[in-house]
Amino acid sequence: MTSAAIDDLEPNDPTRSGPPLLGEDGAWLSNNEIEQLCLKAARGAGMSWGLAEEAGFAAAWLARRGIDGPLAVLTQLNHAQGRGWNEICPVVAPDRLYPADGHILCPIALGAALCDHGTLLGLGADQKSLRIGPVSHPILLLPFLSDLARTCGVNLRLAWPGGTVLLGVDGSLLGDVDVLGAETAFEAEISGHVGSVSHDQRTPQTRLVASDTLGGLNTYALTTTVPASDASRAGAGADDNE
Amino acid sequence: MDCASLNPFPQAAAFRRSRSEVMRLARMGCAHPTRLSFLRTLLRRVTDQGWVFARPVWDVDDTGVGRAVYRATGPERTYSLVAFAHDLPDEMRSDRVIATAWDATFTMFDGEPSQDDLDRLQANVPLQEAGRISRKELSLSRANRSVRLFEHVIDRLAAGQQPDFEEVESVGYLMRTTAVYGSGKFGAADLASISGRPELCAPFQVEMLSVWLTRQFTVDIAEHLARVRGGDRAVQLDPAIKRTLGVGNSTGLGMAPFLVRHPVLLNNWMMAREEALARVRAQDTADPACVAGFRAALSDAQENAAKWASTHPIQVTKLDELRRDLAKLADHTREWPPLNDPHPWDALWRWAEEELSLEGQEALLSVMLEPHGDLIDGLADCMIADEQATFRLDGAMTVSALSDRLERDYDWALDIDFDQPENAARFWYVSEEKLEPRLGNRFEEDGAALEQPLCIARLAKDLHIALAMWRGDTPLATFLLAHPEHRLMTRRAQVVQRHPYSEVRDNLIAAEMLPIDLMRCKLAFFGASRFDPRSDKWVRISLFQGLPYPSDLCPEGWA
Repeated sequence: MTSAAIDDLEPNDPTRSGPPLLGEDGAWLSNNEIEQLCLKAARGAGMSWGLAEEAGFAAAWLARRGIDGPLAVLTQLNHAQGRGWNEICPVVAPDRLYPADGHILCPIALGAALCDHGTLLGLGADQKSLRIGPVSHPILLLPFLSDLARTCGVNLRLAWPGGTVLLGVDGSLLGDVDVLGAETAFEAEISGHVGSVSHDQRTPQTRLVASDTLGGLNTYALTTTVPASDASRAGAGADDNE
Repeated sequence: MDCASLNPFPQAAAFRRSRSEVMRLARMGCAHPTRLSFLRTLLRRVTDQGWVFARPVWDVDDTGVGRAVYRATGPERTYSLVAFAHDLPDEMRSDRVIATAWDATFTMFDGEPSQDDLDRLQANVPLQEAGRISRKELSLSRANRSVRLFEHVIDRLAAGQQPDFEEVESVGYLMRTTAVYGSGKFGAADLASISGRPELCAPFQVEMLSVWLTRQFTVDIAEHLARVRGGDRAVQLDPAIKRTLGVGNSTGLGMAPFLVRHPVLLNNWMMAREEALARVRAQDTADPACVAGFRAALSDAQENAAKWASTHPIQVTKLDELRRDLAKLADHTREWPPLNDPHPWDALWRWAEEELSLEGQEALLSVMLEPHGDLIDGLADCMIADEQATFRLDGAMTVSALSDRLERDYDWALDIDFDQPENAARFWYVSEEKLEPRLGNRFEEDGAALEQPLCIARLAKDLHIALAMWRGDTPLATFLLAHPEHRLMTRRAQVVQRHPYSEVRDNLIAAEMLPIDLMRCKLAFFGASRFDPRSDKWVRISLFQGLPYPSDLCPEGWA
């Protein structure tokens, strides 16, 4: 690494990413970094702290399974900019979670609501199914549906016109995950899945987060920080040379 | 593991201190290291399991620049601290997190590094936050010299003399770490990926191992430079002097919010310590060997208190109280234990509650635990936390049930009037400059709109008020659809139900709140001694002072 490259580093980069390992166009982030960066970015983009934690959780869950969670969160945060909570949060009916007035749901808000309702949703009983959507960037629903399956003690099936994904109570994940990742919005049906979900074929693949994704998330994350003042620096840290 | 069901000492529960007593800043700010502190747990493990230590690489030139590897081999795995020694101009030496160069930089490698690994790390580790490490690494840290003592020690050793003992004691370390980053920082391995290892099933074990090996490095580099300067005349440090040297540490505000951000972890630390105290108190006899151990520990505590220096007015007062209390305690226990007392340790504790300051009481806790390893050391395995397991909140719980919980668990918060300026005088934020937590004055500084959610008392009160507007039988799932802003506090309040020691029961944005109280509590759990606040926002401490070195356990590794 040359000194010029050091000078080029963004001084306020929340991931403080330096020279990318293996010369790739991005940085290798740990899951902890992905979770924290996405949490801060979501907060910076306007989510409440509690929902921002859900965004961080979702990004890290996906990343652990080799899915680009950080990009999904960034894309969703961009999509939701300027939209009020009432536009992106679900209305909960006995058989359906849907947006008010023809809007489109946020997958983090929808996912959190699904988990919050948990056993109240009655999934698994009497072949009950739930309609959800329309919801944007639905790949972000998977972490929540996985938790929901565990909470309800029932394997879940997520079905939409383009495919099906199965989520096991043990955290396993199977089906058209890549197809789901390409969907920008959909309406779908969730139901209990009778029978087993065979063991998870997806192994953790990558933690390389592309430069553009990092840049976008960092930009949101930085809006949660306060510019330093002389008052804030005074006494905040150690500076003596005993 | 469910520690409660494995508890071999259920009768201790009746002797456990309440959370309203334990979880106050004033008392947390008097915490002393104990035998359950994380560095003590590490030393017990490596000693009991016969870990082997060596320094396979020492490639440092005559200017003190180069690299070294310190190898720690346990029953199942090897860890290697990779150290880079630098020649740092004095004017660049800063302990602030905004520093860009240090006297030495370190990473803990998971296994034994190859030449390629060392070259890769050489390109990144010296840059610290501006570099990247990988899944093969477990920590990233740096240290600066104590200019005064380091130079003195090299000078004396080079001349064939030992350093002045008073000089050594007044500083206490050759180098101080200014940051030790662990789990998942800067690309390092995630905690989750290594937490299943038996040797890491106590908190901060990688970080403690890193600092302990760093302590060895501080002596090795000083002796190396003394040899360069003095040639054949140079001598090694006298073992007794060497033992009094710890690793210093400067810690700013960045550490303070940790305990608030990790409520389950805080609970597990506190619960283990409180259970340990309760077990000691619950005994119906005072075993003579334990009484002898108690006296020895008390004597050590008195010696430590005598050497413990600070110029901070608050700490000066506390040290006065501590020395007075320990003398009083020594006096009181001269003829102790009395015959036929049904619970002699408990009687001693209850005497202390009446007679000693908080500083003295918490010191007694540490002294009482010291001779009871057989009774309490197993609790060290109950101090990690699976935070993911408590993340999902229970939306089926009703509004009235949560409101009741708040009235029970946050009674200390609900009566605070946040319209009074002194009760909302501060705000926690993250600085853009270095992305570090800071504390601002709400009525004097900008930025309160970007407040971090560490004002738990006010969040609890706001939640309680919001709940009152809803029908009691409404599920929280419905409430949270309308109030996403209360999601974080709802989650916390549910955590407290099963984790009674998870919440600091004080207003963290009050004018008189002292962040150093949070820091002292956390640092005591690490095992830090000689807590020395330099302001109400940053402190100096020492780690491993008076304890053995890796080279004491395995002298052949340094032959």
